[in-house]
Order: sequence, then structure tokens, then C-alpha cells
Amino acid sequence: MSMASTMVASVPVFGRMFKLEGEPELHDINAWPAAMIMASFIWFSVAVLLGISMPLTQMLGLDASLFYTAVTAHGAAMAFPYVFQLMMGVGLHRAAGCLGKPLTGWLPAAAFWCMNIGGILFTIAILMGLKISYAVMYPLPIVGVETGQWSMTSVVIGFTGIAGILLTVILLYPVLTIKLMFFGKEREELVLSRRTLGDPGMLGMAMAAFVLLIMGMPLLIVASAVLLALYHIIPFAWVGWATDPLVFQFVFYIFAHNLMEAMAIMVISAVYATLPLYLADGTRKLYSTKAANLALWILLLTSVTSFFHHFYTMFPALPSALSYHGNIMSWGTAIGAAITIFTVAMTIIKHGLRPEAGIMAVLMGFTLYILDGASAIVTSNVAFSFQLHGTMWQAGHTMAVLIAMSMMWMGVLLHHYPVLTGRVLDPMRGKWFVILFTVGAIGVSYAFLAAGAAGMPRRFASWNQEGWMIYGYLILFFGLCLALSMVIFLIDVSKARRIGEGVVASPPKAAPAE
Amino acid sequence: MLDFVYQSGWGAFGVLLLFQIPFLVVFLTIVFRKAYVNTAPSAISDSSVARWRSSWLALAIALFLIINLASIKFFPAVYSARAAASGVAVTDVTVDAQSWYYDMSAQEFEAGKPVRFNAQSLDTVHGFAVYHPDGHILFTMMLIPGVGRSSLIYTFDEPGTYKVRCLEYCGMSHHEMSDEIIVTASAS
Repeated sequence: MSMASTMVASVPVFGRMFKLEGEPELHDINAWPAAMIMASFIWFSVAVLLGISMPLTQMLGLDASLFYTAVTAHGAAMAFPYVFQLMMGVGLHRAAGCLGKPLTGWLPAAAFWCMNIGGILFTIAILMGLKISYAVMYPLPIVGVETGQWSMTSVVIGFTGIAGILLTVILLYPVLTIKLMFFGKEREELVLSRRTLGDPGMLGMAMAAFVLLIMGMPLLIVASAVLLALYHIIPFAWVGWATDPLVFQFVFYIFAHNLMEAMAIMVISAVYATLPLYLADGTRKLYSTKAANLALWILLLTSVTSFFHHFYTMFPALPSALSYHGNIMSWGTAIGAAITIFTVAMTIIKHGLRPEAGIMAVLMGFTLYILDGASAIVTSNVAFSFQLHGTMWQAGHTMAVLIAMSMMWMGVLLHHYPVLTGRVLDPMRGKWFVILFTVGAIGVSYAFLAAGAAGMPRRFASWNQEGWMIYGYLILFFGLCLALSMVIFLIDVSKARRIGEGVVASPPKAAPAE
Repeated sequence: MLDFVYQSGWGAFGVLLLFQIPFLVVFLTIVFRKAYVNTAPSAISDSSVARWRSSWLALAIALFLIINLASIKFFPAVYSARAAASGVAVTDVTVDAQSWYYDMSAQEFEAGKPVRFNAQSLDTVHGFAVYHPDGHILFTMMLIPGVGRSSLIYTFDEPGTYKVRCLEYCGMSHHEMSDEIIVTASAS
């Protein structure tokens, strides 16, 4: 057994959900993805509790510091150790199975450990008092030390954790994906379903890897310089260029915006790969591969420079021309989305659909993703941005895109689960998971957006003003729906039966995954 | 009508629903019908598909253009430039934001007279959002330290007490960072 599979088997509760009981020859592509997926759900369980605690702290009138602790820890856990790690696990499993290459050696191990140790260190720093929100508003961490809000030690530990996470997201995961795609020898026994880069199901994975690597590199350089100075390896005077607030904000959003876009491109690619496998007539083809690829290219080209929409309200420090550019490019991404919607809908119309839990989760996640895309382009209009920037609208957008991607990846995971673990899931529990997740996700999204339209600030520990608490109650109610759906999902994977133990398999057989 | 759409917050919500509701109805109907009602393949000619695709994209692009072009006069850069060029005297106000308060050079203005807010942060990232007395946001500014002053010209139409809040998370007392602007009735 490999280190990864031994580790999964030894983890209480969650280990049982993802331990490997399938074909031993597939362990080389199953072990690290199973470890990453298992770890992502541990983080998600914590993130859900923190998410529910936010409206509760407001309703119970608890101390503001509890709220800001929850905001920071919830956001950080959701964005990176949960959604990104889930995407990394399922995505790498897809890539390895399509290319017939093993996921072994130090690279997947490093990606796993840097992400999770980084997440733990950041969480420790938050518990020590560092409350900087998951979107680092530099120079807040340093100002917080100067004003006695938290200690320098917590900043050093927190930045070390962030560096570990960034190393995985910007360097290790993309390099691993590129290595799988362009280097190494194929092993016939690992090929589950051969795909090439011309296939939209693979093209998006390649695009996402390059976007993360290229657009994240400036932040990695800046963050590394700051970290070296924090450890006194180099003097602070040498990193003045990196600690300029404007430089930090720009490199942060060039990365953060493109991280979300890269994850979106990658998950849409997975939708393109998964949908054809559930067509009622068994054709296993998209309505148009060319249209699917065109949509991915449009999404890529328009999204790369649309990050300026994070800075409209700095006018004139952000020149109008860059604001207009950001506005146009942001709405350009919607053209790619329109083509994607047409491709997905026409594929279903032409070929019919087998309504199994995996593909329904993918399609409901896709629905939420498109709904959220609409909220994103609305707030990317310069005029609207001056009413919505900094409100719950944007928190809702961030949350909805993460939930949508998580649901699509969980749908893909439901599809891959039998070949990953050698066990099959219960269709009825899968159905209830999809229904509750969809209701919870759409409900909580609308609650956030309405709160933003009403002027309610995000990351703001005082909801008892201007009648905003009504949105808090709605957020709590739909958040509980989401939590319940996750409980059902986790029960489903913990009670999964080995293939051949007398339950109707869904999908009908363990292999192939693609 | 356009004032409500582009300046009330709820107008943005309305535009959002304009996009979302047709998508929700059409897409979920397609998924439901083809998954549970009639899963048989549909015989659709390529020419029909091409027509639908063209119409769909034309509709999307037209909507995008209309909504964005109609918004231009509500861009703060545009209405600020228009106010500056109008020849009416503009009252200049400096705003210095610091954890967790605002230092404003003036806080009382006359309705109908343009005010130029020149705002900067002195420590970390702050926001300067001005709320209408009914609770909706009139405008917000993001203030990053060290980049100079953000600036826009706004003309208050109605007398009243306008709340100012920070919308950028700035630490443990972020939610207490607020102030007020008083707008009095026009003297003329």
C-alpha cells in the first residue's frame, strides 16, 4: 500500500468514506486523489459549522471577534483546502485516468501536504487572533500588529500557512497537471478513457493549469519576498516594492480573480466530459465539440484581464480606460457562458438524459454557476459597482461560485466514486443530496444578493441595522439546508457498499470512470 | 426609471432577475423534460439548431449592449466630469479615513449643489460609502493607502441625514467605522 492509501485508511470516520477497495492496479491513480478528496471534506465539515456560526453570532449578540474569526476561517477553508483541494483530487483523477499516467512520487505528496499543513497553520494563526479575512487586504495584517489587534507571531504563522497554500495552488498543482499532460509514459492498465487536448474535457484542464501558473506567479514572488523578510532572512528594506499596498492588491487580484476563472474553466471542462456519459441514447457526444472549445477560449481570453472590476471604485486612482476595459471583458465572459449554456442544453435536447445523482448534481451545480455568473456581470458594470462593491452582493457572488463549483465537482466525484474506491452509492440518498443542496445553494445565494441590494456590508459584525437581520435568518435557514445535504452525502459515502455486494450500482459498473 | 435601475441597488437586483428567471425556467424545463418526461432523442434539423443558436446569441449580445450602454451616464467618472464642466461651483471636501473613523473637512451640504469628495486612507484599506436616508447606497469608494485620493462629484437631491460606512474589512472594529453627512434644503 502507498503512503496515501495507508493514510486514508487510518483516518477515523472520513477514512472509511474514501478508503481504496477497488482494483489494486489502479491505486497509482486513485491513492493521492482519494487522500485529497477525503481531506477536502474534513475541511468542508469545519467550514460549514463556521458558516452557520456567523448568523448565529449575530442573532445571539455574541462578541464581534467571534464573527470575524468565523469570517476569516470559513472563507479560507472554503476557498482553498475545501473547493480547490476537491477540484485538485477529482481533476487529477480525471487527468490521470484519461492519460494513463500514474499519480505517484513527491509531487502529488508535496501538493497534498503543502495545502493541508498550510491550511492548518493559517487556522492556528486565526485562533491566535489573526483576523484578516480570506481576501488579504494588505497592509491590514501589519496595521493590526501596530494597533494591538493581533500579534506579529500570528502574522508570521498565518503568512507561512498562506505560502504553503499558494505553493500548491500556483506551482505544485499546475506543474503536476502539465507533467501528466506533456511528460511521462502512458501505462495501458491505467487508461480509463483516452482523451486528447482537442477534447473540451481536457482542454479546460490544460488552460486552468497554465492560467494558475502564469497569473499566480507575481503573487507567489511578492508573498515569498514578504515571507523571507518576516523570517528576517532578508531585511524589510529590500522588499519595499512587495509591501506597497497597491502592488500587493494588484498581484493579489490578478491571482485571485484568475484563480476563480481557472477553476471555472476547469469545472466547465469536467461538465463537458461528464454530460455525454449520461445521455439517454448512448451517443456519448456533445452537440458540438467546436462550440464547447470556442466557449472555453472566449472564457479564457476575456477573463484574464477582467480583474480590473475589483478596483472601479478607486477612481481616478484606477484610470477610467482600465475600468471600461474591465467592464467590457467581464461581460465578454458572459458570451462564453451563453455558448456553454446553448451547448449543454442542446446536447440534452438532442439526446435525452439518464437522471442519475452524479449528472443531476453536475447540472444543478451548472445552473447555480450560471445564476452566479449573472450576479458577477451585473456587479462588473461600472455603474452598478458603485452601489454594490463591498456589500453582501459580492460575498454572495464569491460564496455562490464556490458552492456551484463544489457541487459540479461533487457530481463528477459521484461519477468517479466507484472506480476510485471500489464501492457504489445509494441512488435515493444521492437524489436527496442533490435536491437539498440545490434548494440550499440557490436560497442562500438569493439571500446574500438581496442583502447586497439593500446595502448590507460584507464582513461586517453588526447585522442589527437597517432591518438587515431578515437576510441573516434567510442565510441561516438555507445554510442549514446545505448542511443537511452534506450530512446526507457523507452518510451516503460512509455506507457505500463494495461492488458486487447486492446493491444496484450507480453508475451501472465501476469502470470506466470517463 | 433608469435612475432606479442604476442607482438604487434594487435596480441591479431587477436586472439580475431579468437574466436569471428566463434561464432558470428554460434550462430546468429542458433538463426535467428530457430526464423524466421524454428521454427519447429529439429529431431537430441542423438548420433549426443554427437558427436557435444565432437567435440566442443575438439576444444575449443585444441585452448586454443595452444594459451597459444605458449605464454610461451613471458612471461616476461621467457624472463627475459633467458636474465639473457645468460651471456650477463645486464644494471640495477632503476625507481622511483611518482605523476606525473619518476626518472630513465638511459634513454639512446644501441640496442641489455638487460636492467633490476627495478621499484617502492613512493606514489600511478602507471604504467610504454614502447611504441615502432610506438605506440604499448612493456611492462607495475604495481607499488604498499610498495611491492618492479617490475622487468623485455627487449632488445630493434631498435634505436629510446620510450615513457613511466603511465597506472594506479593516479590522476588529470595522463595523463601528461610520459617520454622518447632513444635507440641508436648498437656500434658493
